[in-house]
Amino acid sequence: MKVNTRKIQKLNTRKKIIETAYKVFSEKGFSVPSSIIAKEAGVSHGSIFAHFPTINDLLVSLLSDFGDKMGARLHVLAKKTDSVENLLKEHLKVLKEYETFYSRLISEINILPDEAKNTFAIIQSTVAFHFASVIECEIEKGTVKKLPIHMLFNTWLGLVHYYLLNKDFFSESNESVIERYSSELLSTYLNLIKNERRVYE
Amino acid sequence: MKTCIACGMPMEDIADFAANDPSKDYCIYCSRPDGEMQSFEEKKESFTKFLVMTQGFDENVARKIAEGMMRKLPSWEKYFD
Ligand SMILES: [Zn+2]
Repeated sequence: MKVNTRKIQKLNTRKKIIETAYKVFSEKGFSVPSSIIAKEAGVSHGSIFAHFPTINDLLVSLLSDFGDKMGARLHVLAKKTDSVENLLKEHLKVLKEYETFYSRLISEINILPDEAKNTFAIIQSTVAFHFASVIECEIEKGTVKKLPIHMLFNTWLGLVHYYLLNKDFFSESNESVIERYSSELLSTYLNLIKNERRVYE
Repeated sequence: MKTCIACGMPMEDIADFAANDPSKDYCIYCSRPDGEMQSFEEKKESFTKFLVMTQGFDENVARKIAEGMMRKLPSWEKYFD
């Protein structure tokens, strides 16, 4: 089979731009001009436009790539998980891996264009999907309080996001907030949502 | 790994596929009880309901997100021209 080198080259450049944008956005936020991304990636400014006509196109592609990666990881991990505790542990692990980018994303989500916002909602829906299937099971078994699923989910995200958004208060240096607080966040949340263990006579 | 053409979910295990049939290109959640793939409207409504149920979104907002997600998937492209 004939290998189309130009096509491969084009794909490589695209990948390079996305990877660089991921890094630059993580460090500097989403309003960085595309010229800076071009410079960092070592490609011409025109090449960015050839791949992504607008910065919004770049952002949306980057987010869906990010969502696919995060989704695939979670999907594999959630498969092996039978308790909400283990699922949330895995969720924290994945968040820790993408912590800088994810924190930037949740802190700037409201100023991003609608398409990017929607892509973010779809990323969360992958998490919500696994969360719902595990927690419904636990509610049925009586190990978790019978509360609406969306409130259980949003309470968890609210807690984790609060720490990520206020990182400067919760850690002094560049250490990972997730790393430092994950066991406290997890045990507190579980304490709030779990039913008291029934004592049988 | 195959991903569902109707919702994008990765399908690894047989149980992920519609009717437990790995030759199918869509997942268990995108199929009807008889194993056929859901229609555009059915999928849009079920995904909207899912967003409301699991994340508590406003229903109209959720419907727009559902449309935005479907726009990017091979099965539904033709509905967005
Ligand atoms: Zn599907």
